[in-house]
Amino acid sequence: MTKEAIYEKLNEVFQDVFDDDSIIVNADTTADDIEDWDSLEHINLVSAVEKEFGVKFTMAQVVGMKNVGEMVEVILHAVS
Amino acid sequence: MGITSFRFLLFFAVSVVLYYSVPKRCQWVFLLLISVIYFLTSGNVLLIMYPLASITVTYFGAKFIEQEEDHKRRKWGLSLVVVCNLGILVVLKYLNLGIYTYNALAGRLQEHPAFLNTLHFLIPLGVSFYTLSILSYVFDVYYEIIPAEKNWAKLFLFGIYFPTIISGPIMRYKDMREKMFSEHTFDYKIVTQGLQRILWGFFKILVISERLVIVVSTVYNDFENYDGLYIVFATLCFTLQLYSNFSGSIDIVLGVSQVFGIMLPENFQTPFFSKSIQEFWRRWHITLGGWLKDYVFYPILRTNFFMGLPGKLKPRFGKKTAKKITTFSALFILWFAVGLWHGGAWKYIIGSGIIQWIYIVGGELAEPIWTKLRKLFRVNKDTKWFSIFQMVRTFLLMSFAFLFFNSAGFSTALSMIANIFTTWNPEALINGGLLQLGLDIKDWIILMISLSVLWIISIRQQKGSVREWLADKNIIFRWILLYALLFWVILMGSYGPGYSAAEFIYQGF
Repeated sequence: MTKEAIYEKLNEVFQDVFDDDSIIVNADTTADDIEDWDSLEHINLVSAVEKEFGVKFTMAQVVGMKNVGEMVEVILHAVS
Repeated sequence: MGITSFRFLLFFAVSVVLYYSVPKRCQWVFLLLISVIYFLTSGNVLLIMYPLASITVTYFGAKFIEQEEDHKRRKWGLSLVVVCNLGILVVLKYLNLGIYTYNALAGRLQEHPAFLNTLHFLIPLGVSFYTLSILSYVFDVYYEIIPAEKNWAKLFLFGIYFPTIISGPIMRYKDMREKMFSEHTFDYKIVTQGLQRILWGFFKILVISERLVIVVSTVYNDFENYDGLYIVFATLCFTLQLYSNFSGSIDIVLGVSQVFGIMLPENFQTPFFSKSIQEFWRRWHITLGGWLKDYVFYPILRTNFFMGLPGKLKPRFGKKTAKKITTFSALFILWFAVGLWHGGAWKYIIGSGIIQWIYIVGGELAEPIWTKLRKLFRVNKDTKWFSIFQMVRTFLLMSFAFLFFNSAGFSTALSMIANIFTTWNPEALINGGLLQLGLDIKDWIILMISLSVLWIISIRQQKGSVREWLADKNIIFRWILLYALLFWVILMGSYGPGYSAAEFIYQGF
């Protein structure tokens, strides 16, 4: 899977979780950029991403991901 | 030795001089030495056995977890460390909660109730704080976020580091190991800013909190003789007292540590400017919230049970509601834990836990109604006035919850609340009765001026560090301001007998 494909899928997941079709994420997107992305939604987001890509993040990854770019790296590593 | 006592200041001054005199590679060993001395002089010397045992078990447990590859055995290792640490905490702090609850139930249900005697233990200093700090260490080793510490003495210092053992903040080993064990050169700016922060903490505790506590205890210790507005007034004062006392002590702790060159995590971020309860808890006792999020809330939601729950509930309730029920259930466990952490009594579990959960869940469920009402009355959410309304609402909701926190017990809190809603005595506002609660007019003027200063500084803090702002100012202006604050604290500080702040609310936790 290419990075572009991951971003495309991620956009859908983000739009679904945060109920906002206008969300487009990039590598630098953080919780500060999306209003509803708090610690509570973070875990819902993580579960949704795991389901979409068929991966399972470790707890270190769950609490350690600082932006969407890092999330994509983890997904890329897991699916390849 | 209390944090605002003269002995503490002397102990601190001597420690700083020696700290910057010993060889730099020995600085952390010196900190360990003074931390042990601080612990030993703060109570029964034998109590040091508690942190010694907890930290030693955690040290070996973490090493075992790191070396072990078998997933099941790693889990066993972690469970053992957690059970040992929490076991001590449960026996020391929560056994009596069980006994009280059993006695209360037995008294109602049995004809000839056999009551159990409550147990009284000497509680080691800061047990709730160091237990969480060292548990975060072993969890992080288990999650492979950090390697296990090889040096037992370093972990011991992390556990009983003397400024933090008094009232937190709760630390993470991954953030502290670099700062705590590296070499520190005397840096004029860092040290003076640390001292400024200590002064600010003294101001909050000695000038504000020590005056407010008189008003609060006048009413709370004699609540049967005070009605309606008096209880409301004392409760609002308590919210301000709790904040000035707890955040003031954190200012002193962070300032002291900064003088040693070790920056600790922030625990407060002007919480009374929060527009919602959720935001309030992101800005109040921040390190506790962060700890519970990472080590309780997330792991619960990552269990198979909670991961599978939305799927099971979906056919009956629909996708959105199923997700909400799952989150609300996990939040209930989280808030119950927050309440329980505050103390082994129902007033804490209700006031700092369940009520908060009700606020948050209730707020979420009622949101569609609020939206409709706002539309109906054409209220614009984005105005300054609406923000102020939200802040006042948060303050009042938190004050209501803190009433439980400060009352003698859960049933006392209920009768005080009943009194508030059944007694109507607005005359207290005009006849000056509210100003006669243990303080004279001079004290009220000092308190009002000091609260205004606190308020102005808090507004400024929203834009960034006030000390950085001050550092850029003209040296004369800077020194006048700092000396004014220093003399204000020295002259207006409320010193009890033997010069020690009377009640330090969070020390018992």
